[in-house]
Amino acid sequence: MAEPSIEPEGRPALAQSKPAKFVSPKVVAVYGVLTALTAAVTYASYTPFSPTKGYFNLGESMVFFSALAFGWRAGMICGGIGSAAADILLGSGIYAPITLVAKGAEGYVAGVIGRLRGGQLWAVVAGIAVGGLCMITTYFVGELLVLNVGLGKALAEVPINVAQVVLGGTIGALLSYYVKRSYPSLAAA
Amino acid sequence: MTGGFVDLFTPADTFLHRLDPRVKIIAVLLLSVLAFILSNLDSLLLLLGFIFLLLFLARATLSRTLFALKFVVRFMVLIVVLWPLFDPSGTPVLAELGPVKITEPAIWRGVTSAVRVGCLATVWYILMFTTSQRDLVRALVKLGLRFDYGLTLAISLRFLPTFGVLIESIKDAQRARGLELSKGGLVRRSKNYVAVLVPTIVSALRTADTLSLALQSRAYGARADRTYLRELSMRPADYVALTVLVALLVLPAVAKFLLHVQI
Repeated sequence: MAEPSIEPEGRPALAQSKPAKFVSPKVVAVYGVLTALTAAVTYASYTPFSPTKGYFNLGESMVFFSALAFGWRAGMICGGIGSAAADILLGSGIYAPITLVAKGAEGYVAGVIGRLRGGQLWAVVAGIAVGGLCMITTYFVGELLVLNVGLGKALAEVPINVAQVVLGGTIGALLSYYVKRSYPSLAAA
Repeated sequence: MTGGFVDLFTPADTFLHRLDPRVKIIAVLLLSVLAFILSNLDSLLLLLGFIFLLLFLARATLSRTLFALKFVVRFMVLIVVLWPLFDPSGTPVLAELGPVKITEPAIWRGVTSAVRVGCLATVWYILMFTTSQRDLVRALVKLGLRFDYGLTLAISLRFLPTFGVLIESIKDAQRARGLELSKGGLVRRSKNYVAVLVPTIVSALRTADTLSLALQSRAYGARADRTYLRELSMRPADYVALTVLVALLVLPAVAKFLLHVQI
């Protein structure tokens, strides 16, 4: 005799339904938390600078941290979406689409290059440098061609972005080194 | 306390709040494309006025709108000031100083570009002011985002204010131990910030651990054909709004690219 089914009509029983091809709960949790963390750190460390009217934040360090500690996929998704969300929260939503591409590319490149040969120092430095270059180029080209803000405004952003990459990269690399050492299980996610 | 975070969503009962979030997402995209199609200052000002009318109809409170506009206005002023310095084309020349020439058409091009940037920046707020985060994620899933990605996004939006509070209290704790966070140059300040970031990350990763257990215990991903408690459904008014929006994009596009009208 067949077991009485508790399933709603029209749906196959749980055991017969196709195994779901979702990403694992661990990845969902870690990526969700890293994305929120990137946005929160960007938001909390936001420092406006009066002389250039630009602003500086340490969100970069979280992008590099995600990429170096959890791989290119985390760097791309958490860096891109987290930074774009912070842009919207900080009232500069116009930057959000460019940020999504720029920081996403940065996280991707830093994750791919920075983890070569098990993440030796030269790989990490190269990953941060090339990733940072991707970010700066994307912002420059995006501001110039997509937003059409003019060469002056686009050029004014470059030095701020370089400073962000250098400081954020250093901090991000240090953080990933220490967290990987104390949380070896998580870094494998 | 929300850690200083401003949730842009303002609850109210206007037609923009009742509109299907999918239509609002499409509206933002269409109006952004429209801002790129229009190239005349007049028509761009008209579009900016239309966006502000919608914001007004969404009952956006003044203080929230000002918060949003503070950045945009600064950005627009910078464009107007810097544009003519790097664009020496056109006549008449108004001023000349060495290699820098300031011409009248360049100033107008700067103003036009600033107004376009203003449109692109403010159009976002129509969506953000009138749509709750929950509806936003639900609409994105309905528009084809995979459910698990939508869940990740929902989790990150949910934890944003939590981590904001966490960072603030860790900052306070470290300040009580004598850490300086608002003094010194860029390098010094960033170096001191590490003492805030390390405990934050460790705490966040612990949260992620617990969260993945919570997801597993709620049978996350057990089956692919999941159902939803609240379904989105398009009402007639939503279709009307969608039609008006598409017309708003298509008409100027036809006028510009097929009839070659300067707009």
